[in-house]
Amino acid sequence: MKLPPILQEFSGGIETLEVSGRTVSECLEKLDVQFPGIKEVLLDRQGKLLRVFGIYLNTDGLHPVELDSPVQDGDEIVILNFLMGG
Amino acid sequence: MSSYNGKLIRLNLTSRKSQVEDIPEQWMKEYLGGRGIGVRYLYEELKPGVEPLSPDNKVIMMMGPLGATTAMSVSRIALVTKSPLTGAIAKSVMGGNFGAFLKFAGFDGIIVEGEADKPVYVHIDKDGIKILDAAELWGLDTQQTHQKLRQKHGKSTQVACIGPAGEKLVRYAILISDLRCGGRTGVGAVLGAKKLKAFAVNSAGPLKLHDAEGFKKVNKEVIEGLKTSPGRIKMSDFGTSYLTLGFEKVGIFPVKNFQEGHLEGVEKIGDEALASIKTKNDGCYGCMTKCGQVRKVTGGTYDGAVSEGPDYETIWSLGGNLANTDKGSLIAADSLCDKLGIDTVSAGNSIGFAYELYQRGIITKKDTDGLELNWGNHAAMMKLVDKIGNRESFGKLLGEGTKRAAEQIGKGAEDYAMQVKGLELPAYEPRAVKGYGLVLATSNIGASHMYGRPRDELSGKKDRLTEVDKGKDIADAETSQATQDTVIQCSFGPVTGFNSQQRSDLLVAATGFKEFGDPAYVEKIGERTLCLERCFNVREGFNRKDDTLPKRMRTEPLKDAGPATRQTVKNLDGLLDEFYDALGYTRQGIPSEAKLKELGLDWVVKDIKKFSK
Repeated sequence: MKLPPILQEFSGGIETLEVSGRTVSECLEKLDVQFPGIKEVLLDRQGKLLRVFGIYLNTDGLHPVELDSPVQDGDEIVILNFLMGG
Repeated sequence: MSSYNGKLIRLNLTSRKSQVEDIPEQWMKEYLGGRGIGVRYLYEELKPGVEPLSPDNKVIMMMGPLGATTAMSVSRIALVTKSPLTGAIAKSVMGGNFGAFLKFAGFDGIIVEGEADKPVYVHIDKDGIKILDAAELWGLDTQQTHQKLRQKHGKSTQVACIGPAGEKLVRYAILISDLRCGGRTGVGAVLGAKKLKAFAVNSAGPLKLHDAEGFKKVNKEVIEGLKTSPGRIKMSDFGTSYLTLGFEKVGIFPVKNFQEGHLEGVEKIGDEALASIKTKNDGCYGCMTKCGQVRKVTGGTYDGAVSEGPDYETIWSLGGNLANTDKGSLIAADSLCDKLGIDTVSAGNSIGFAYELYQRGIITKKDTDGLELNWGNHAAMMKLVDKIGNRESFGKLLGEGTKRAAEQIGKGAEDYAMQVKGLELPAYEPRAVKGYGLVLATSNIGASHMYGRPRDELSGKKDRLTEVDKGKDIADAETSQATQDTVIQCSFGPVTGFNSQQRSDLLVAATGFKEFGDPAYVEKIGERTLCLERCFNVREGFNRKDDTLPKRMRTEPLKDAGPATRQTVKNLDGLLDEFYDALGYTRQGIPSEAKLKELGLDWVVKDIKKFSK
């Protein structure tokens, strides 16, 4: 899994790491165990992915089913953020 | 043939005469359009020290060479004047349809000068340019003014007008066209001082292009790419409201006049909450994104209120900044600001300033016309918006802007005025995005979020909390924004429009000017524009001392702001040095003679030597 710098503030600067799970959601659960609080930044109170973030699986965008998407051994999950105001 | 009309309208309101002038071709090549040509005219024609609300000030309204074409997100009009809020250069860019139809009428811009003896409006159509009596429009709100002018000149009339706030000289009054606004820094007040209520245009295209087939080919490539762009689709679905919840999580979203970074209940004004009351999209001429979100309140205190917005900035200024999570009040206050013709950012910031003074006991109910300015009190906010727009009692003071209001109030109120050069801060906490803080400090128009976007910082490519090695990024960001404002390309251009090579290809096909084919040449125009704006300010007495941030950002650790908690801006001086070095300015923030010559601004050298002593 690859984290954008804004999430690296929670991972102690780690950009790339290995996580396990059958879905993106399960991988994020594992990520949160390793780095408590990181899930809270990614998700709203209902557990939905905040729209400033996008999740890609091996370069394919997963919107709008990011969290439920199945993953397999060797897949790369890339989290990006889109922060551009107006 | 060229997409430039090559002509502008000069309106002298004192003599009530208009004339059509050629725009020098050399200026088109050196300044491109919009903000670039606007500042070129203003520098040339305005003497230093002019009182902004006097007849001697001028308003330059200028389109870019791609405006009114079928290119994406380019039909915007730049407004350039000397600001009554800051005393510095003012630039703002207004979307909508007005600019495109001005070009269809055969003009690239308008220069407004002088002052009418009684209210007037300007009508432009195939029969000419007329300065007409506006007695029946004076006092109307902006929506009523649109309706009245369309009743008179036809439903397809494109209108840009000021509201009661502009008439009454509120220092952050705006110009508005349908639901699109322009004029942070008070362009509306300058027009109000000139007693110019509105512009009405009836025209029909199309525009002629130098190479229509070549243009079509590049434009088709752009549109194909945008159809599936996730960023563009997100902007279309939610506008900038999608930023609120994410920014609040990481401390970028200021709360309670920048006292902290956490808003309890923020989800009530988040993207989904607002999308639940969306009725349709709205947007600018020739844009497929249509990022404007028209929303309607059903039920409750604000039943029936409709606004295009609020966008991220207004969700903050009239929402989070006041600890207000009532979405109905947000829609109603946004709508009221538009009707009265005031800038929502400065209005909300000024109200937040008053709330904090009330919290600290610096002002009391005796000062606020009996209003209890407790955080989250949206009923009081609504009353203050109305008072500001109509310049009534306590609202009259807040309509002066936080800098002047603080000076009048005294008792240490200056420490709570969140402004730079007199312009109120927008919805970016400088302690949580240090590069953006540098933009707000160095912007020639004051604390504007539209003066440069530190994309690497906001996208996370660069650490947002470090305070070194950012000066060049910010110099590039301000240059890039200036370039976009000359084209004029929407600030969301990289998401909703084209890249720099496509921009160059479109410019050459539209105008026939081969020079524009080099993206570096076009970026140089942005740098020249930025530099000339700084020269304008130097002539008005501005220098390094004015490139700063409110004391709070430099001395008070940020509270409750996620990873940005306890941050302050410690190295503003170092960042300023980096920024000036990157742009070829002296450490006093003044363009060096060598830089002026490099940019072809030799003719300014004498002025700068004289006024920087």
